Parts: sequence; C-alpha cells; structure tokens
Amino acid sequence: MKNNDNPIVSEADGFTFRRREFLGMLTGVAAVAAMAGPSALMAKVRDNGGILRVGAAANPSSMDPATGGSGSDHIFLFPVFATLVEWEYDTLEPRPGLAESWEFPNPQTLVLNLREGVTFHDGTPLDADAVKFNLDRNRSDPRSNIRSDLASVESVEVTGDYQVTVHLKSPDTSLPLVLSDRAGMMVSPTALEKLGEDHDRNPVGAGPMKFVEWNDGDRIILERNPEFWDQERPLVDGITFRIITDSATRLRSVRSGQNDLAYHLDGRQKAMIERGGGVEGTYGPTVYCYQIYLNHASGPLSNVKVRQALNHAINREALVRASMRGAGEPAYMNLPSSHWAYDAEVAELYPHDPEKARKLLAEAGYPDGIELDMRGYNDQGSVQRQEIIMGMLADAGIRGRFTTGTISDMSAAYFARGEGDFLVSAWTGRPDPSLTYALLYAGDSYFNAGKVEPPEGLMEAIRESRSTDDLEQRKQAFSTIQRIVMENALVVPLAFREDIMASAPKVQNLRTNLLGKPKFENVYLQG
Amino acid sequence: MSRNKQLMLLNRLVQAIPIMILATFLVFSLLQLVPGDIAITIAGENASEERIEQIREQYGLNQPFLVQYGNWLLNAVQGDFGESLLSGEPVLDTIARVFPNTLFIVVYGVLLSVIVGVPLGILASSRPNSRLDGTIMGVSSLGVAVPNFWLGMVLVSVFALGWNWFPATGFTAPSESLSSAIWFATLPAIALCTNGVAEVTRQLRSSLVEIHGSQYVRTLHAKGLSPAVILWKHGLKNVSVNLLTVISLLFNKALAATVVVETVFAIPGMGNTIVKAVLESDFPVVQGAVLAMVVTVILVNLLTDLLYTVLDPRIKQV
Amino acid sequence: MTSHAYAATPERVVKEDSLFRKFGQWCRHDKRGATSLVVLLLIIAIAVFAPWVAPYSPTEQDYSKILLEPSMAHWLGTDDLGRDVLSRLIHGASKSVYAAFLAVGVALLIGVPVGLLAGFLGGWVDAGISRVIDTLLSFPAIVLAVAVTGAMGIGLTNAMVSVGIVFSPHLARLIRARTLVVREELYVDAARCFGAPVSRILIRHVTPNAIQPVIVQCTLLLAVALLAEASLSFLGLGVQPPDPSWGQMLARAYMNMEIAPEQMYAPGLAIMVTALTFNTLGESLRVALDPTMKGL
Repeated sequence: MKNNDNPIVSEADGFTFRRREFLGMLTGVAAVAAMAGPSALMAKVRDNGGILRVGAAANPSSMDPATGGSGSDHIFLFPVFATLVEWEYDTLEPRPGLAESWEFPNPQTLVLNLREGVTFHDGTPLDADAVKFNLDRNRSDPRSNIRSDLASVESVEVTGDYQVTVHLKSPDTSLPLVLSDRAGMMVSPTALEKLGEDHDRNPVGAGPMKFVEWNDGDRIILERNPEFWDQERPLVDGITFRIITDSATRLRSVRSGQNDLAYHLDGRQKAMIERGGGVEGTYGPTVYCYQIYLNHASGPLSNVKVRQALNHAINREALVRASMRGAGEPAYMNLPSSHWAYDAEVAELYPHDPEKARKLLAEAGYPDGIELDMRGYNDQGSVQRQEIIMGMLADAGIRGRFTTGTISDMSAAYFARGEGDFLVSAWTGRPDPSLTYALLYAGDSYFNAGKVEPPEGLMEAIRESRSTDDLEQRKQAFSTIQRIVMENALVVPLAFREDIMASAPKVQNLRTNLLGKPKFENVYLQG
Repeated sequence: MSRNKQLMLLNRLVQAIPIMILATFLVFSLLQLVPGDIAITIAGENASEERIEQIREQYGLNQPFLVQYGNWLLNAVQGDFGESLLSGEPVLDTIARVFPNTLFIVVYGVLLSVIVGVPLGILASSRPNSRLDGTIMGVSSLGVAVPNFWLGMVLVSVFALGWNWFPATGFTAPSESLSSAIWFATLPAIALCTNGVAEVTRQLRSSLVEIHGSQYVRTLHAKGLSPAVILWKHGLKNVSVNLLTVISLLFNKALAATVVVETVFAIPGMGNTIVKAVLESDFPVVQGAVLAMVVTVILVNLLTDLLYTVLDPRIKQV
Repeated sequence: MTSHAYAATPERVVKEDSLFRKFGQWCRHDKRGATSLVVLLLIIAIAVFAPWVAPYSPTEQDYSKILLEPSMAHWLGTDDLGRDVLSRLIHGASKSVYAAFLAVGVALLIGVPVGLLAGFLGGWVDAGISRVIDTLLSFPAIVLAVAVTGAMGIGLTNAMVSVGIVFSPHLARLIRARTLVVREELYVDAARCFGAPVSRILIRHVTPNAIQPVIVQCTLLLAVALLAEASLSFLGLGVQPPDPSWGQMLARAYMNMEIAPEQMYAPGLAIMVTALTFNTLGESLRVALDPTMKGL
C-alpha cells in the first residue's frame, strides 16, 4: 500500500475514514472507528437490531476452528471467533483485527501487538497468554487440522501483557494473512480446558456473535456479543442459520420469507434472482477456482507441450457461460483479476485456440491426438463441467472418459494414490497466495499428485514472496511465480466462482468478499 | 377372538422373525460388494497408513465377516447403527429425524390413492366395457407407466413455478405446523399416488365386476334393492379385504418411490438420505436407512396379515 | 426367446406355420396388443438405427445454442450444452431399451435356475430359497438397487445388474411354483424312472411349461426396469456422460427447470410411452397365452 491517504467510503454509513499506515503494516476502517467510538448513526442502526435469518449451505463439521475441516464452516466460525488479523473484503489485503498492529523486525520474527481490554464470551481476558495458548494449540495439538498452516512457526513467546512474538523457522510474511483464517481464530482457553472435545459443539470465542444453540443439520443460533472489541459491529441482535443444503431451496426460502438471506447460490439461481420477485441479489468475485489438476509424473502430460495444448483447448468464456450461466470469471491463472497480486500479462498466455493445441500435440509427438484417464466428482454440477471439458478437449484431439466418484473417494485416488491423468476439481483459495502456490506445486505437497519437482525458480520465488512484507515487492514475486506456473502449464485453471447471495429488501449493507466466505458483521436490517 | 385366530396371529409374528434376521444379513452384506479396501474409502482424503489401520480396528474390518456381522447385529438390535462418516451424527438420530417426514408424504400419497381410486373403480365397474370404463382404465394404465419423479417435476413446473399455488421444494415437519406440512407435501404426495390410484381403480373394478356378475347380487337386484345399497352393503364390504392388500402394497411401493421423489422435492426424508449417503459412500447411513425401510415394509406386511386375519371371516383355520 | 427354444428342433416349420397363423388371429383379435407390439418394434428400430435416424450428433456441443426453444432446425430445441434434444432422445432410446433388457436378462439368469432348483429339489433347499425370496421381495426394489449400485460402483451396467438382482426373486418364485406343478406330472416321473439326469428333466420338461408365464412376467418387468433405469440415471447412478439416456436427460432438465421447463417433456413422455407399451403388451400376452383368462 503506497497511498497513505487514500480516503475510502464505507458503504455502511457514508462516513469517510482514513487509512493509515503503522510500522510497515496496515490499519483499516475498524481501528480508526474504534478509537473514535460508535457514531450516532451507527448506534441508531444498531438499536434497530433484529434477528438476521440466514439459509445456510451446510452443517458445520465442527464449531472449533482447529478441529473442523470444511471450507463451509467459516460462515459460522467468523461470527463466533474474532481473528488476529482481518482482510479487506474486495482485495484480501490484511488489516488489523485482535492484533491492532504487527511488524517483522527481521524476516524470521513476527511481533503482534494486541488490542487491550478484549475478553472472550465467557469473560476470560484475551491477552498475550491466550494468544500463545491458541497458536501453540493450533500448531501442535493432535486434534488440530491446521498444524500445516503454522508449519513455519518455531516458537511463540509472550513478550508483554499484550504482545506476542512469533519466531519462525524460515521467513514467512504470509503469516499475517494465515492469522486471518482458522489459525488466527482465538478460542477461550478456559472454555477449552473445561469442555475438552465438547468445545467442538459449544464454541466460546471473542467474535461479534455468541454461540447459543446448534441443532444438527437443522439450525444454529447466535446472539450479539455486546462486548465485541469493535463497537461498530455487529449491527443485528442475532443470527439464526437454517441449514438448507439444496441451493434452489435456499433461494426459495428467502422468496417465501422464511429466511432473510441465502448465500452460495449458483448461476441458474442468479437468473432467477434477476427475474425479480422481492429478492435482491449481491454478487462478487471469489478466489474459489475450478481447475484441472494435472499429474505430470509420466505419460503424455509429462510433456510441457501437451499441458500447454490442454490450456489452449479450453474455451473458458464458453465454460462460464454454459456451466455457470455467466456467473463467474474465466481463470487464466490461480488468482482472479481483482486480487492484489493479479498479473494481467500472464493472463494473456492461453487464448482459446484448438488449432494451436493440435499443433502443440503434433510437436510433442502426438499427431493423432492423445487418450487420457480423466477423473472427476459425481454431483450434477461437476458432471456437467466434465461433459463440457470432454467436448472441448475432443475438438483438440484429446480423447478420454471420466471416472467419477465422491469428492473424498476421487481425491484420495488421485492425490494420494496417483490414479488418473487429471482431476477436474477446484481450489478453494487461501487468504495469502503464497500458501496457494506452495500447497499446489511444492514437490512433496499432497496436491501435487505426481510429486514432480517444481520447475526451476518456482520455490525460490515463493520463498522470495514470503521474505518481505512490502505488498509491491510481494506482488513482483507473485508475478514471477504465476509466470513460471503458467508457462510450464502445471495446471489448467478454468473459472473463478462468483459468490451469489439473495436477500430480502430489508437486509442492508450485505457484501461479498474475495475469499468467498461471507461475513455478516456489517449487515443491518431496515424496516 | 377364537383360539384359532390367536394361534394364527402368533404364527405370523414368529414367521416374521427369520425374515427380519435374513434382511439384516442381506443389508450388512451390501458392504461386501464395495470393491477394494473399504477402510481406505472410509479414511478418505489425505489419510495416513495408521489412520487406515485405526479405522480397520474401529470398524472391526480385520475380523472375519460373520463376526463383523454378529457385532453389527448386536449393536443394531440395541439401536446403535453407528455414526455417519461425514457428519458424525448417530445413524439412529438421522433416521429418527427424517423418517417421520417420509412417513407423512407416503401416508398422504396412499390416502390420495384411495380417495381418488375408489370412486374411479366404482364408476368404471358400474358399466363394464363402456366408453367411460375404457377411459378410466386407459388413464389408469398411464398412471402405472408414468415415472413418478418426472410427474413431480411437471407438477413443480406447472403448479409451483408457473402458478405459485404450492411451494416448489422443501418441507415443514407436521409437528411444527400441520397446515404448512400439508401444503408442502401435496405435490410430492400427488407424484407418489398415481401408481396407487391406478392399482386401486383396477383392483376395485375387477372385484366389483366379479361381484356384480355373481348369482347372489343378481338375486338381490331382482329383490328390488337399489344398486347403491347393493354396492354399499355387499360390494364394498366384500372387496375391502382385497383393498387392504392393495393398500399395503401401495404403501411399500410409495415408500420405495420416495428415493427419487424426495430428491426432486428436496424433502429431508429417508429416500433423500439414502441417495445422498450412497453418493457420498456414507456406508453406516446407507445400511441403517435401508434396514429401517425394509423393517418398515416387513412390519406393514405383518400388520396387513394381522388385520386380514381379524377382518376376513373366511380365514378361520390355520 | 421363443424362436431360440425351437430353433434346433425338426418340427420347426410346422410350429412356425401354426404360430404364424395364431399370431395373425391374435392381431385381429387384440388390437391394443398388436398396436403396442408395432410401437415397441418401432422404438427398438429407432434405438438400433439411432446413428442413421438422428439428425445431429448427440454429443456435439455448441455454446452459441444453449437451451434454444424448438425450431425447424432443432425440432425439440437444444439442451444446456447446445446439443440437439431430438438426437439425444433418439440415441437415448438405445441406452434405455438396452438397459431394460439387460436388467431383465440378469433377472432371468439368476431367477430361473434358482426357481428350478427350489421347485425341483424341494425339502430344505426349497425352504431356504423360499425364505430368501420372501425376504428379498419385502425389500423396496429401487431402494435396494440404489444401495447395491452405490456399493458396486456407479455406471449403467452396475445399475442394471442391481436392478436385475432385485427382480430375480419375482421370476424365481414364478418358476418355482410352475416347477412344483410339473414335478408331479406323470411324464416327469416317467423320465426319472428311465434314469434321465435331473438337469435334462429340468430343461426338457419344466422349461417349456414355465416359459409362458415367464414371458408375460418379463414383458411387465421390462417396463419396471425402464422406469428403474430412468430413476437411477436421474439420481446420477446410471448412464454416465456424455452418453445420453432418458433418465439422464431428465436429471439435466431438472437442473435447468427454472429457466427452461420445456426440456423435461420429451424424455418424460418417451419413458412413459415405452413403459406403457411394455405394460400393454404384457397384459395382452397374459390374456393370449393363458387359456383361463380368455373369457375376461
């Protein structure tokens, strides 16, 4: 961030805040607002209160951030657990959360300065000890599913009542954004001690909402935390989630007045929202990317020209039109165009060109085309995407049939056992792109099915991206990474999913975010 | 009740037991059809060798098949069908949650079959081989041939999306609001009942035609009794036992049809649960839910037999 | 099946002649039955000659023609990937009809021997088999098919083999009942006395006697199998893309129901008409082949 005095307008209330820069890091709207205290208008909106009723897409796997494993849990976790770091909705740039500032005195040390006077829902103070407890639990507890997120952490040290110093094994400036996700969600140590594994179902955090009730597969009830550190949030008295897994039914529940809001809808429902009927649509890009994972350990795909042919064979615009009804963004790399680390030049590499694809195949020694063992999932949406891909590849002389199965079966077969040439799946995205690239392409990574050593320079560039916390320098590093990945065609990116939400007219200030995991902290109800 | 009848009832109950046991065995054997190592499948994504071994231990997969079955049956008898591999919810809780919904639409559907089928059957039998009879029988053969999930789609498209008379999908539990439950369940029940309407109509028609042709009824006719009275007093009474058999058959068919119909209407019921569990390889849920359905069918058959024994004066001897 | 059974015997010509005449009588007598036979043959012809009958390729995608309404170029419009619906319907016929025959074939393959065995051997074998049959019959058929397919693996063949397995007890029960009757016949006793092996007795004497009700039952089962295929493919357990089948087309139509409701009509009607044809033919055969039903 170069622009020190960039005034941004918060859509919530029309107030103008100033964004300032502390020691090589960023502060956001909330910090300034918190210092100034709640504004009169905000207080009025908040006094309106009301319960926000949300049609939720899935039952959570666990309400404990460390033990859960599903990307669809965040919708419930974000309200209950405050994170050390937060992000800007539109770009995923980091901004202060429970940590009001942070700095890297050297590339292998991160100092977090915590907000004072914050407490968990059960009254336990959220101080340096609590943060150390959480970070140590997240990186070493046997039940923790997020140990790898904090793999670069050597030790956590309490260096003040409200200061924590994290010592790193290697430079890792992706850490602040890692702390905006599960790893940075703070759990009450007292509650955890008392409840043990039962905390999975009775979560105690320090977020804008307190947990009240979870009825499996049916509903989750949250109520406002009046003690939340940011007095500007939340603006409703509570949130009631009704779990409705079918997206069409979710939309209809808003239309019939049973719910105020539904998220994770798909392109077909966008067409319905736009036909009117008392429902408003909110749309925005996400980092959730449909892509073809390539196992290039052996066979035709070990030849870079064949992989490039695959990338030229896919007509991404048509794919977005046919399978997502236009509600998506064609993907030419692992980041969408609105992301802060996007590189427009890399996006030019693979225009749709079946002729070129055939030529590349011929150059690779396959003038008659190739036959591949394709893998995919068995839900209707995935099957439709596979049909489209099969058709497009056939036009370029790439033949084959899909073997389909459940997400867990197929992922295990492809990633763990190395079956199949490629897998049509998705990458849900990570708050920091360096995680995305390391997880997808490192030689020993689970998601690198062939366990092929990455092309020269890739790992260096990833390390480079982690050794500085200057966004411009990081952006440079990511351009290099993306160029290496795409020139070597290590993946076939297909399309970024658009987040599609439908809401009743009384729902105000609803916004999507680039992570594709909606937060409702700024939403209020009117009328 | 005569002693004979009591003996007969007891006999029926005893007969049901081996069928139940056999059913549990067959349901459990389903797991053996899964190709490859089921422990790996259960362990899922990113599983380590220890985790797979742990699962073998936990599910007793390293034991002989019959021992596995014995253990499973022992637990199942106590109501423990294990837990869902995905949500971790005990399978019995899942069944308890969704079964009432399925039962509601099935009973609703069967009721509709009877309400529509009985008048149609009487009407058709009143003038056998007339044009009316032909039309009714023609329509009823369509009722057998129509795929019920497709009919469900057509109903949704016309009555829910087109005219907005009914909700397109979803469900309200009857315990929450009966009127809302009926409103939500009407289209699914109609989709489920066509087959039943046809069966009831045909069965009733052929029984009534037979009775109409009998010497006995002709005599009554000659004695000057009005056709309505004859129909009511002698016709329907005599066919009610037949009808009972048809209804139990309908119940079983409708229960099976929920597998697709619930999917079309996104109803959180047994059929929907089984389909989802199958697609997600959630074996404990598949086993538990299929067994629950089979046991229901066996119980309904048993109940029919019992009612049959009680109702029909002709069945006296064993 | 009938022609197979008689193919090797020397009386073939005579038999065929009389069969032929009988068939002519039947056609005049039972117009509904004859019509359904014609329709069925037509459907089978369409299924067999699909590549020549269909105006377009069933898998050719055209993203400039997504979900078009019916027109002169595309009589039934285009689907969500811009493919010609009529062509998919025609090609789908072969998959759907093949699936129905496959399931009934499997049911015959399992049901007939098991039924023969139970009926002929009697005793505890019969008691045991009958129990299993009773139990299987109390299983809701489609539920079992869904579960078995899920366990064996998704795909048309697995799905229809499951359906066949589920159907087999119906045939086994039928064969068993017939066998019991035949077993008591004098000529079987005679054959046994002459020391003819059991297998020979079974094939020579029981099979021809049981064949008629089996044909009727199979025709009716074909309709049920067709509906089962549609259901399983609708649920994503049957035919896999890009192959078209009627059930799979309905699954796709369901996905797009809110924007293109007309997509569901053609495949649904095709399933219904074909099932109706099998049913009508089955009923007609029942009357034609069963002397006791002649009067009704």
